[in-house]
Amino acid sequence: MKIIPPTCPEPEVGPKYWRSLDQLAETPEFNQWVEREFPAGASEFNDPVSRRHFVKIMSASFLLGGLGFTGCRRPEEHILPFSKMPEGYIHGVAQFYATARPTRGSAVPLLVKSHDGRPTKIEGNPNAPESNGGTDAFTQASILNLYDPDRAMRFTHGGSEKSAAETFDALSGISKKFEATGGEGLSFLLEQSGSPSRDRIQKLIAAKYPKARWFTHEPIDLNTEQQAAAISFGQSVAPEYRLEKARRILSLDCDFLGAEENSFRSIRGYAKGRKLETPADDMSRLYVVESIFSITGMNADHRLRVQPSQVLALAARLATEILKGGNLNGLSQLAASFKGDEKWIAETAKDLLEHVKGSVVLAGHRQPLAVHLIAHAMNSALGSVGEAVLLRSVPKTADGSLGDLANALNANQVDTLVVMGGNHAYTASADLNWTATQAKAKTVVRLGYYEDESFAGATWHLPAAHFLESWGDARTADGTVVSIQPLIEPLFNGVTEIEVLARIGGLSVTRPLDIVRETFKSVSGLDLFDEAWKKFLHDGYLANSAWKTVTAQANLGAIGQELARAKAPAASELEVIFHRDYSVDDGRYNNNGWLQETPDPITKVVWENVIMVSPATAKAMDLQVIRGRTPDDLKNNDLGVTENNDVLEIELNGKKIQGAVWVQPGMADSTIALALGYGRSKVGRVGTGTGYNAYSLRTSESPWMASGAKVTKTGEVRRVVSTQEHGSMEGRPIIREGNLAQYKAKPGFAKNMDLEAHAPNAGPIYTHPYNSHPALKSDVHQWGMSIDMNSCVGCNACVVACQSENNIPIVGKDQVNKGREMHWMRIDRYYAGDVADPQVANQPMLCQHCESAPCESVCPVNATVHDEEGLNIMAYNRCVGTRYCGNNCAWKVRRFNFFDFNKRPNDFADMSKGAVGKLYLGPLAKREPLEYDLIKMLSNPDVTVRMRGVMEKCSFCIQRIEGAKISQKVKAGASNDVRVPEGAFTTACAQVCPAEAIVFGNILDEASRVSKLKKQERDYAVLGFLDTKPRLTYLARIRNPNPAMPDYKQHPATFDEYENSSGGSGEHGSTHAMNHSEPVVKGAH
Amino acid sequence: MAEETTIKVAAPPRELEREPLVLNNRSFGWISDKIAGIAEGKTAKWWWPAFIISALVMTMMFACVAYLISTGVGVWGLNNPVGWAWDITNFVFWIGIGHAGTLISAVLFLLRQKWRTSINRAAEAMTLFAVVCAGIFPVIHTGRVWFALYPGYLVPMPNSNSIWPQFRSPLLWDVFAVSTYGTVSLLFWYTGLVPDLATMRDRAVTKGRKFFYGIFALGWTGANRHWRNYEKAYLLLAGISTPLVLSVHSIVSFDFAVSQVPGWHTTIFPPYFVAGAIFSGFGMVLTLMLPIRTVCGLQDVITLRHVELMGKVVLATGSIVGYAYAMEFFIAWYGGNPYEMYAFKNRAFGPYWWAYWTMVSCNVICPQLFWFKKVRRNVIVVFIISIFVNIGMWFERFVIIVTSLHRDYLPSSWSYFVPTWVDICTFIGSFGLFCTLFLLFMRFLPLIAISEVKGVTPQADPHHPLGGAKSGGHH
Repeated sequence: MKIIPPTCPEPEVGPKYWRSLDQLAETPEFNQWVEREFPAGASEFNDPVSRRHFVKIMSASFLLGGLGFTGCRRPEEHILPFSKMPEGYIHGVAQFYATARPTRGSAVPLLVKSHDGRPTKIEGNPNAPESNGGTDAFTQASILNLYDPDRAMRFTHGGSEKSAAETFDALSGISKKFEATGGEGLSFLLEQSGSPSRDRIQKLIAAKYPKARWFTHEPIDLNTEQQAAAISFGQSVAPEYRLEKARRILSLDCDFLGAEENSFRSIRGYAKGRKLETPADDMSRLYVVESIFSITGMNADHRLRVQPSQVLALAARLATEILKGGNLNGLSQLAASFKGDEKWIAETAKDLLEHVKGSVVLAGHRQPLAVHLIAHAMNSALGSVGEAVLLRSVPKTADGSLGDLANALNANQVDTLVVMGGNHAYTASADLNWTATQAKAKTVVRLGYYEDESFAGATWHLPAAHFLESWGDARTADGTVVSIQPLIEPLFNGVTEIEVLARIGGLSVTRPLDIVRETFKSVSGLDLFDEAWKKFLHDGYLANSAWKTVTAQANLGAIGQELARAKAPAASELEVIFHRDYSVDDGRYNNNGWLQETPDPITKVVWENVIMVSPATAKAMDLQVIRGRTPDDLKNNDLGVTENNDVLEIELNGKKIQGAVWVQPGMADSTIALALGYGRSKVGRVGTGTGYNAYSLRTSESPWMASGAKVTKTGEVRRVVSTQEHGSMEGRPIIREGNLAQYKAKPGFAKNMDLEAHAPNAGPIYTHPYNSHPALKSDVHQWGMSIDMNSCVGCNACVVACQSENNIPIVGKDQVNKGREMHWMRIDRYYAGDVADPQVANQPMLCQHCESAPCESVCPVNATVHDEEGLNIMAYNRCVGTRYCGNNCAWKVRRFNFFDFNKRPNDFADMSKGAVGKLYLGPLAKREPLEYDLIKMLSNPDVTVRMRGVMEKCSFCIQRIEGAKISQKVKAGASNDVRVPEGAFTTACAQVCPAEAIVFGNILDEASRVSKLKKQERDYAVLGFLDTKPRLTYLARIRNPNPAMPDYKQHPATFDEYENSSGGSGEHGSTHAMNHSEPVVKGAH
Repeated sequence: MAEETTIKVAAPPRELEREPLVLNNRSFGWISDKIAGIAEGKTAKWWWPAFIISALVMTMMFACVAYLISTGVGVWGLNNPVGWAWDITNFVFWIGIGHAGTLISAVLFLLRQKWRTSINRAAEAMTLFAVVCAGIFPVIHTGRVWFALYPGYLVPMPNSNSIWPQFRSPLLWDVFAVSTYGTVSLLFWYTGLVPDLATMRDRAVTKGRKFFYGIFALGWTGANRHWRNYEKAYLLLAGISTPLVLSVHSIVSFDFAVSQVPGWHTTIFPPYFVAGAIFSGFGMVLTLMLPIRTVCGLQDVITLRHVELMGKVVLATGSIVGYAYAMEFFIAWYGGNPYEMYAFKNRAFGPYWWAYWTMVSCNVICPQLFWFKKVRRNVIVVFIISIFVNIGMWFERFVIIVTSLHRDYLPSSWSYFVPTWVDICTFIGSFGLFCTLFLLFMRFLPLIAISEVKGVTPQADPHHPLGGAKSGGHH
């Protein structure tokens, strides 16, 4: 579905197109040209002055981009019209290339859109195995990093600039130096990677320098999982959770829908397991045990909040129930310290046991090894291993940890340290004292994407290439080999990891392309290599290359042995939990404005991290959180109105940080949550001044939890900026929720809520224009959208995808503070029920494309009008900016350009400094040309860049609609078959959604998915009583709680709130939406 | 000049006795001298400081507007749910003030309320200047002023793509309503000025003054024929203006009533807005005229009876407004729409409760003091109450606009509006513009309709013992 790349062309006779570059490369002239490493004129790019010049002219050169080296930018000298148009190339028509984004040890297969040589939009590769084209927010935003003006752009030695050639000479020097000693004193510090090429090169180097030592480090560490799997199953395996097959899921602090790796895959599986087509369908049930409020917690049917140290005891206690017969060493001793609701445990265990082979237990990366082992033991006991939990055999890794490297450094065993990526000066645990430790190496060679905190410690610093500039390969989570191919030549001379390693290793082949081809030869076999390689690049993956699945069951003996040794984490009055941030990951996206401005899925805070505590803890600490009020006055409807949040100082292991407090409903009491990734001391213009650095409190011994924190109020107060200030729906049926039983009893319950169900005869005074003027209505296309809130988990991918597709600017912290964020699409988050432990509901909110749009009738200049296909469209040229449309929009989805945000300088995270002033300088404020021109390259040329004073909003990606219509018209020719077929295209938000919660299409087509969804009984319109006939309708969310559980309630909390506020007192009785008759449902038009 | 006379005037029967509209049996000559003298003689000492301060404040507004237009609407405190705040508040506030002028000059004229003559000229001038102040805000509040003013966008003129403005939009109705109102008010004011301009021309001692007053007096000679035509024209214009009193603020209220925002979408708005406008207009007339009456020594022309009558209008309209406030709440409850109910609850008890209760105190409670005659005739107390009326009516618009917008349908988008210094300075600056224009008016044009005031003096009646030209009255 979605954007399908053209099929792989048949072998061609002559070299014609860049995809057959290898064919081209066979000619001696071409090889010679390529051998120069960079085409003529490239040396200009190193000079900062002419680099600026280069960027200026680059936009011009891009107009003619396309051919040249790997289909990228060509040298300026060659700005000539095509004398012969490359086959298949149409100027102005975007092209899609398959590639992949490498992540920690795995990869996201991608299809990247290129406009005349500029990558402009990233999509998931829908054809890759286990992919539906959905990705995550990080992947969507990673394209912005390519055009980051703060990237490392130069080769340096001791901080002063060197040429690439000098640097490479130095690398060869290193290689020669260690040839004699077999690598004694040479150490490599890498990031986790699934790249077969890197693996191969590593092996080659290891063979050449047997004494060289290898270390890997990731601040978000997944080693515990591997370790646990290896112990439990006696071999190196990676468990793969098939959540679509799971009927019951228990998460032990595992945020598989959010902060765990490859969450987009989990979301897909999870959403599949909960899809409801008819009331007869069944769905999975999710139990979550956690300390912070995570995305997974938001989606839980039963959520238990416990202190981080309690998870192990709880897991052990639960395991004793599940493993009733089986005897597991050490379990009872661990379970003994469990203090909590025994009924919760007993009923959960009972429910899991009732669904043997369909119950999955997941342990999160924050939890110690013992929890993971217990989870494996439970999965085995539940019969899920081999069913809903697949085991894939993965190669063992034997690299040392950062701690091992620190020991080696302290023992003066490291002469030369080669650091590939990472930012250890920032992310290393405080006790390693990394900057000083690393300085013990004589030479440090670092490949870095930024000149960041770790830059100063590097003797040689090389600029890293973005993955969209690199040749490479990677393996996805299941081991499928995917290709990484460049869409653009390195903008700032960046080099790839495999090239640097090959050079240091003194290997004969150092060109990344050659390295990857060679690796591919060994992976795919030599038969028909050229064809296979071409197909590999074209498809983006190598079919059937996933890790082999193995059958094994957990070895309870080995687990027991390990458990007997396990120590329960120290419990204390105040525990600290560190967590990966949903916006900036481990800090690598700190300079990414899109992600900085993406609201946290739970808190909705932007541009910083906060110190999260539960309401009860805040009260115990006597914190001030809302306009001078204490948490005592808190009701959940006020949560999020944040002014004057107390600034706290947290002292842990002698280190201190300061941050603003955030009272988070649903947090475990007596727990402080600190997000990693902020408070960078040396970062680009965007990230400067955001949040506090939680890494400085971490220890390598216990990186995720700590106890013994000392909290003091500094007396300062600070405004925390969030995009949603009101947390309660106030009993309004905006998100309509029901329990599964409720839904089965009355499938149309959602339609019975709100005013439209109570005034069924109320209708418009005027005839619908589509009826009174049938000529106004197209009978070919009528666009509509359906959002299934039962599938949406609230991951934010759509928000960033929309931003990327529609050239939506970021506005900065001070402007979000003023409520001027520009996102066309937002995800609303509402709390309901008890403020200490609320239920959460999410709703993607965007333009509803009303047929009788209230915005249209009030615009005095006809700038927002309706088209014949049911779209509510904006004519930016007409807009004078009265903002009346925005006022009259009941969904408040219109966004006004209060300033020229596109021309605004980038350094605007810090509200206190001159950055804000720059914005208010108006025409006097200038954006630096380099920055401005780079960001311009990112823009989607099919979408207008809006100036200030103009209202904008979701257009249902009209550029995609028109593109699809045009190509269908071309295809139709004389046949008049101009209806765009289902699946030919979709909107950016729908395309990125891993859960397939957003479905867009032609509602005139009875067979389209969107038509079918709109016919479901759960379908309803938000504020439908206004009778604006929105084209975007929602499917009610269904929760699936277990009636036997102690926290069971007959209805979701939002439903009860609705009944209490508007229905309960009426003649219908206490649950009137369940009782009264079906309303008269008005047709679409 | 009035001369001593021995003719005894029999007192009218007690039940017909009325306080005269011009006190102390002032003669026609005294009236001309007194009123024309304000614009003719040496500049009063207080005028220059007043003018300089007003002009500086006005300059501040223009500086703010230049900043706003060059940089973006974001220099104001507006945000996403609150797309309108002080801009439209100020617009409605100033437009409302303008209403008193037309009401006094047109409606009271048609109803033969003779007391209007002492205040109508100044009230009409106030109307015009208030419309000028009002007109600025909807223009500058747009994101792209240069397009808003460009023909084919708001001015109904199809552009090359045959796109007309959108006639369903109340904002476009506003353009028509306000421009019609401004035009008719100007014509009405000017027509009424013609005889007085001729007086000024005749009294002028410098060439320049003679020339300019002469040009604008349109060759008025005071001939019977001139008077005949003039009075016809005046009557006609009064007839044309009268519906405008109702229409302009009704249409301004449509900006809100036509929308679907809870708290805006209300059928009571047109009459309620008109009553409020008259209320605020009279408040402003009192605020302006009471000090002028003192500094210019016009106590004999603008008498306590005038003050008292205006106080009665304020009391009546203030009570209507109070009724409307109550009725809004009743309808919100009676209508059974929870969104509507919330909007009104939020108005009174939400984050902007202080604005709501300021409005209620100033608009509903304060004017109730006018039930007492002593209060109505106490110039200082009336002046203070009139200031409260002005404050209250500004808050009324603020409450309607901001509290309705800041919390509407989806709680996720709820927010809070805080003005910036540009908001504040622009608003204060608009008073500078208003005062500058008014001071210039005072300095160059007769502040009170000379000819009309003469017409309501007892001696204007030819049968009056002092009337006509019997006893040497030379006017």
